[in-house]
Amino acid sequence: MDLELNDIQQELASTLNKYLRSEYDTQAREAILHSEEGISREKWEAFAEMGLLGLAIPENYGGAEMTFAEVAVVLEAFGRSLVLEPFLATAVLGANAIAAAGSEEQKQEILPSVCEGQTFLAFAALEPGLRYAVDAPSTTASAGADGAFTISGEKNGVLGGDVADQFIVTASENGELGLFLVAATATGVSRVTHRQADGQGSASVKFDNAPAQRLGAADAHAVVAELLDTANAAIMAEAVGVMEASLTMTAEYLKTREQFGAPIGANQALQHRAADLYADLEYARSMALYSRLAVTNEEAGSEKDRHRDVIAAKIIIDQSARTISQESIQMHGGIGMTMEYPIGHYAKRLTVISRTFDDADSLTAELAEIGGLIEPQAADLN
Amino acid sequence: MDTLLNAEEREFAQKMRQFYRTEIPEELRFKVATGQELTKEDMVTSQRILNQHGFAVPNWPVEWGGQDWTPVQRHIWLEEMQLACVPQPLPFNVSMVGPVIATFGSQEIKERFLPATANIDIWWSQGFSEPDAGSDLASLKTSAVRDGDKYIVNGQKTWTTLGQYGDWMFNLVRTDPNVKKQAGISFLLIDMKTPGVTVRPIQLIDGGHEVNEVFFDNVEVPVENLVGEENKGWTYAKFLLGNERTGIARIGGSKVNLARAKAYAAVTKTARGTLLDDPLFSARLTRIEAELTALEMTQLRILSTQAAGSDKPDPRSSVLKLKGSQLQEDISELLVDVLGPQGLDFVTDRAQGEGLSDLPLGAVDALPAYFNTRKVTIYGGSSEVQRGIISKALLGL
Repeated sequence: MDLELNDIQQELASTLNKYLRSEYDTQAREAILHSEEGISREKWEAFAEMGLLGLAIPENYGGAEMTFAEVAVVLEAFGRSLVLEPFLATAVLGANAIAAAGSEEQKQEILPSVCEGQTFLAFAALEPGLRYAVDAPSTTASAGADGAFTISGEKNGVLGGDVADQFIVTASENGELGLFLVAATATGVSRVTHRQADGQGSASVKFDNAPAQRLGAADAHAVVAELLDTANAAIMAEAVGVMEASLTMTAEYLKTREQFGAPIGANQALQHRAADLYADLEYARSMALYSRLAVTNEEAGSEKDRHRDVIAAKIIIDQSARTISQESIQMHGGIGMTMEYPIGHYAKRLTVISRTFDDADSLTAELAEIGGLIEPQAADLN
Repeated sequence: MDTLLNAEEREFAQKMRQFYRTEIPEELRFKVATGQELTKEDMVTSQRILNQHGFAVPNWPVEWGGQDWTPVQRHIWLEEMQLACVPQPLPFNVSMVGPVIATFGSQEIKERFLPATANIDIWWSQGFSEPDAGSDLASLKTSAVRDGDKYIVNGQKTWTTLGQYGDWMFNLVRTDPNVKKQAGISFLLIDMKTPGVTVRPIQLIDGGHEVNEVFFDNVEVPVENLVGEENKGWTYAKFLLGNERTGIARIGGSKVNLARAKAYAAVTKTARGTLLDDPLFSARLTRIEAELTALEMTQLRILSTQAAGSDKPDPRSSVLKLKGSQLQEDISELLVDVLGPQGLDFVTDRAQGEGLSDLPLGAVDALPAYFNTRKVTIYGGSSEVQRGIISKALLGL
């Protein structure tokens, strides 16, 4: 049994962490946050040069043909530095959708450009008035002549939708779920851009008879399910990085902040709560790993377990994220409330993560509905 | 979690699974599975079968009956044992006094005690805690004063689990009162039949008799019963307590108990359907299932680094104790809540007689187990002690 990172992954983590420490420190991030676009295209290019944007993309489309495990390493590092660029939207959700459902031509057109950092993608699935559910969109797709489609409807909470060049849109075509590719500049596409609480960009997008291409003929339900499971595993890896940085920072603060003539960390009330946060972080690490193993399991028939395991993991991660974000602010006291000090930014990212794709309560209900993780069994009951 | 194991480990797990389910009497495993109390004879029977096959003391040195296993194999040995509801070998023998004697004892003392300890021909009791030395164990007062070729022992031990069955007792005693408290402690073996030893039962809130007080009144103990060197007892005790913490998360046992509560909940009717369909109950149950999975993954992660070469005790095992004990308590509470109004009586039998229907499954053990399980966040280093270790060793506070 070996659950540690392999040599290549360790090397990747160490190189990236080193880069981020010097090039993506608090000041650098602050400048990006306050820039007009809220992201740095220069940094994005640097990520492309490092090969990060195509890690899991096959080599013949310009990628490195590695696995999700390496993507998770990147996200954990990004979490530690609160990277603002839309990696999740473009390199995970977007690229995975194209890779899973796109035609050969679509893959050739888009994936190399993603790897090179020339294209931003966004997955547009959520709609107003329907909380987290993505299986039966109101947005419709209509087939026109010569195999072209048009899309009409409204999407919101589109992660990375503020800068996206292409949208991957879920829509119903004659009542069947389908995936469609729509250029952001196409006629009939309009968007209102937003900043999430954590500074990351999103958008509400209106499609009014917008010209679209169908993305493949694969079973769209299966594609979307895998897409979201993988994105969830990805955001969990990021969450671990964010939580680890939060706890490191909080422990450091407890050691250095003095009141009543002693570091506040000398108080057992705070020591024990910090210990609980450490235990929560360990749980989070374990479940990020659990979800990573679930989405990289290629055994036939593992899809059902995959979804179940990812849900279970997210329930724990959300719980840990909530406690660590709230307690970090509390232990910092007033300074934790300020925009000037980094801890609040970490708390904001965790607050958003635990509500992205789904939240712990609704996942708990779903996990219960599919039977949970343990088979009911009693020796005296048949 | 079998998928995380390599081919050899999987094969080993399969072998242990098969062994436990065929060699340990069904009747004993049923008792454990349904929360019934085990007799001394039950425990001895089970341990002797394990010992015959070399599975009672795998953590000991090979020359004394141990197995040259990896940390992962040891984990599988214990996990499969719990999943099969096999009565566990007596911890006082196999994970406490045995390893101390094997590591620090003289050849003579090893030969005298180790084979009998493995085969539970001697039932050991633990003499560590005292009325005024609980979490602060090193402040213990029971004294052993050297008098020629014997020690004269006076004092009192407490929380002596199953001391009513004990043949011998391993004790921490103060042999030098004039030095720093940790430096004056020795590890002494005492025959409980020696004149001056009195065992008195302590009644617990679960209604049972599990622990005792033990009094020593001028008890004469031959000096050859000293393990290792005089005044080095604290070192041996720390070694012993380090062993106690591994496996204390009891994940396999928790899985069995949770599966049982879930099965009962599925057949328990409420005003709105079955209890398993109740949204609040099922949410609570489901979160516990997810947490148990997180605990297991955490244990496997720690094991994985141990397998990779570091054999030092990992302070992260405090996380296992802290979280694992809390989960055991939560699960015991879940079973009480499954029974609801029918689990509130202390009864010894589900049958009520006189034309009345039987009480529901679990009615005998749920509530006593709930009260008994309060101990798990207290023993083996209380949750507060674990938090102290985590904040110091892992967070540097």
